[in-house]
Amino acid sequence: MKRFSSLARKKERGEKRGGRSVLYYVLLCLFYLPVLSVLSRAFLGRNAWTALLGLLSSEQTLKVLTFTTKQALLSALFSLLLALPGAYFFGRYDFPGKRLLRSMMIIPFMLPGILVVLGMVVFYGRNGFFNQLLAYLFPGRTVTFTELYGFKGIVLAHVFYNFSFCLRMLGERWERLNPRLEEASLMLGASKFETWFRIILPLLLPTVGYLFTLVFLYSFLGFTVVLVLGGYLYQTFEVLIYIEYNHKLNFDRASMLAGLQLLFLAGVLAVQNWTGRNARRYSGELSYLPPLSLKRHRCRALFFLVYLVATLLFFVLPLLLVSIRSFQQRGQAAGAWTLENYRLLFREEFRFAVGQRLVSVVVTSFLLAVVVALITVLLADLVAKQRRRYRWDRSDLWLQLPTGVSFLTFAFGLINLTGRALPTWVLLIWAQVFLAFPLVYSILRTARRELGEELLEAAQLLGATGRELFWTAEFPLLKRALGSALAYGAALSLGDLSAVLVLGQGKLVTLSVAVYRLIGHYHFPLATALGTVFILLSLILFSLVDAGKLEDHV
Amino acid sequence: MNKDYLQIEVEKNYPGFQLVAEFTVSEGEFFSLVGPSGCGKTTLLRLISGLEQPDRGRIILDGWDVTAVSPADRKIGLVFQDYALFPHLTVAGNIEYGLKVRRLPVEQRRARVEELLALFEIEGLKNRNIQELSGGERQRVALARALAPQPCLLLMDEPFAALDYGIRRRLRRELRELQERLGFTTIFVTHQQEEALSLSARLAVMKNGRIMQIGTAAEVYCNPVHSFVAEFLGDANLIPCEVQSTDAGITITFDEATVFTMPGSKQKPGSYLLMIRPEDVMITDHTPLFTGELVTLEYLGHGYYLEVKTTNGLLLKMVTGKEEQELVKGRWLPLTFRSGAPKLIPIKAQVST
Repeated sequence: MKRFSSLARKKERGEKRGGRSVLYYVLLCLFYLPVLSVLSRAFLGRNAWTALLGLLSSEQTLKVLTFTTKQALLSALFSLLLALPGAYFFGRYDFPGKRLLRSMMIIPFMLPGILVVLGMVVFYGRNGFFNQLLAYLFPGRTVTFTELYGFKGIVLAHVFYNFSFCLRMLGERWERLNPRLEEASLMLGASKFETWFRIILPLLLPTVGYLFTLVFLYSFLGFTVVLVLGGYLYQTFEVLIYIEYNHKLNFDRASMLAGLQLLFLAGVLAVQNWTGRNARRYSGELSYLPPLSLKRHRCRALFFLVYLVATLLFFVLPLLLVSIRSFQQRGQAAGAWTLENYRLLFREEFRFAVGQRLVSVVVTSFLLAVVVALITVLLADLVAKQRRRYRWDRSDLWLQLPTGVSFLTFAFGLINLTGRALPTWVLLIWAQVFLAFPLVYSILRTARRELGEELLEAAQLLGATGRELFWTAEFPLLKRALGSALAYGAALSLGDLSAVLVLGQGKLVTLSVAVYRLIGHYHFPLATALGTVFILLSLILFSLVDAGKLEDHV
Repeated sequence: MNKDYLQIEVEKNYPGFQLVAEFTVSEGEFFSLVGPSGCGKTTLLRLISGLEQPDRGRIILDGWDVTAVSPADRKIGLVFQDYALFPHLTVAGNIEYGLKVRRLPVEQRRARVEELLALFEIEGLKNRNIQELSGGERQRVALARALAPQPCLLLMDEPFAALDYGIRRRLRRELRELQERLGFTTIFVTHQQEEALSLSARLAVMKNGRIMQIGTAAEVYCNPVHSFVAEFLGDANLIPCEVQSTDAGITITFDEATVFTMPGSKQKPGSYLLMIRPEDVMITDHTPLFTGELVTLEYLGHGYYLEVKTTNGLLLKMVTGKEEQELVKGRWLPLTFRSGAPKLIPIKAQVST
């Protein structure tokens, strides 16, 4: 009896607090103080508004705004257009390998941006595989793709990054459209076209809108890709902020740009929130899907096969090529394999290009990733645990919001706030925890919600307490989610380039920075070798992830 | 009235499953397909609707061969088990949909929608979203939507399956009244024998892709041609027996000791199952056919359910009314059958399926 009443009392206390805690407010401060400091510098300083007006009317701002928006719109458009046919097959048919393909689709998500860039360069670069293929297919004619370093290349890389995730989300949404709806429409006398137009499209549209704003947001905030491929001609706000801050040391201008971007993104975030709510509205139950068979739907199955092969090539080849190239040497015949590039990783060449030795780069990256992942998971789990009894309301939104805040802005805000009073590594961990928190929190919150209070209460009633309760009930039940959360946290830390560049001041070199510098030095043999190591690391992290779950987290 | 309004003769093959069906439905009839899940009744319904194509055979609706006609052009209404209401349209939007895609002028559409809303007494729900409706309300909207374009034939796939017992009974009665009033031809699929018996003029009992028996509710309930039909439509005692014909009628032998004569009946001699419903087994004061010990006694509220172990080793199921006061387990009961109630099912028929 005693135990019953103590449980009841605990519940009461929790409800009185409304589910918020000191930790929640501490996190809010840690997350939003740097952002606020950027905003205050941008909008509250002396002569801030005149400077702001000047900035707003300047040709450069307009150019950057136009480019950033345009590439983000096109990236979102092409990602969705390419994803649509695939989503149809994933949503309407069952076929062998579907689960595997679906879980593979989150790989680009875990892949460091700089690796995507490296893959793009190796594949679509002037001497890349794609151009060699073109030369082989059209001998004698000069058909080449030379626009990787430019607008098209940037959009291509952003599509690469976002397409598979669009396919997965849209496919999962499509799966939850009751196939009976189509049949009901047919039975009521509508043609196939009319059914598509009046029923399917309106029901998919909220999700399409949601994904569109999401890809727009990611591409708008694009940094790594644009930094490498954009050169001096093409800059997103993020890149411009970085250049103003890092190269020109123009802090005021950087904060004004960051402030402007935040205002603009607030609008986008509002749209995203609205479309997200709409997208969840019509979600139904999963129903039986007919197997896609070559015999029964010949044309469709063939089309899907071609589509699948083409997209797989589009995705897998660039990364595969990075690994293949790492075992080849310039000037040698294509069939000859060598480990020379890997040997070079340990030589002076590497230190010369990167600034530090390989061991220190790997150790730095690894330690940083582990620490960031652990801290993030710990904090997120504590919040999730406290909040598991309550519907997620507005206060949760504040913890989710960092997804939409530019990472560079945050890193910049940190410096602005602390004035470098804290050691670099503290700032970096702070920044990366902030980056990883929304996703990690979302995973753990969902896991705790699915876990259900009843299971833990049952364990308590059976006599488990304290540490025992954790090890016998909570931990085994949450193991997969915790693994996922740690892996995502580590992957985001490994993939981060902007915070390390801004906060590390060139002294802290992670794997991402190393690959970035190697590309900058056009040192591709080394870049591919290091890239391969990096890919392997990412794949190991991916294997820890519960890839069956994504829909709730993004 | 057209007796052969709908003529069906189809075959459909799946890996490990074959559906063969042949029957006719007359105009204005309420016809049910009943059987356990997996018996092919929903597949048969989908063949009639045109959502599936038969491998062989044809479907003729009102003299028109619709076998190759697309579902959109068949003028057949279908109510799905989960209703499949369009979640992005209102109640009125759902009902109007079939009229809109058939390009009816706006005024006619509006009038028809109002008419149906009134018919189903859901005027108040007109502008509601589907998500805001209760199960019973959704059911009405689904029916109204299917009837709006005035289909030649209405198909219903277990439309009450998702509802509570009370509301299911009410809607069932309403559906029956509506069908009688408007006279639309209906094929109703269900796995519940009670629903099929109470609703339909005629019904077909299905098993493993075959139609076992077609007839009126009373026919299939009282005169099952197959032990499966007998057991599916309600509780039944099936007792193996031998039949001999005599000049006066037939004699039925359960074992050497128990002999039962049915004067005036005709039946080929041989091995049979004698089918007797529990409600037709009675406690008697006269010469009992069986005597047995009461081994199971369940109070049902309106009476009792009994199982009696007879002296010749049979376990007879029976139900009694409230009047039987002195039932105690272990009591010996003299039993007989209600006259005319026992039916004989040839054993050979069991082997063939």
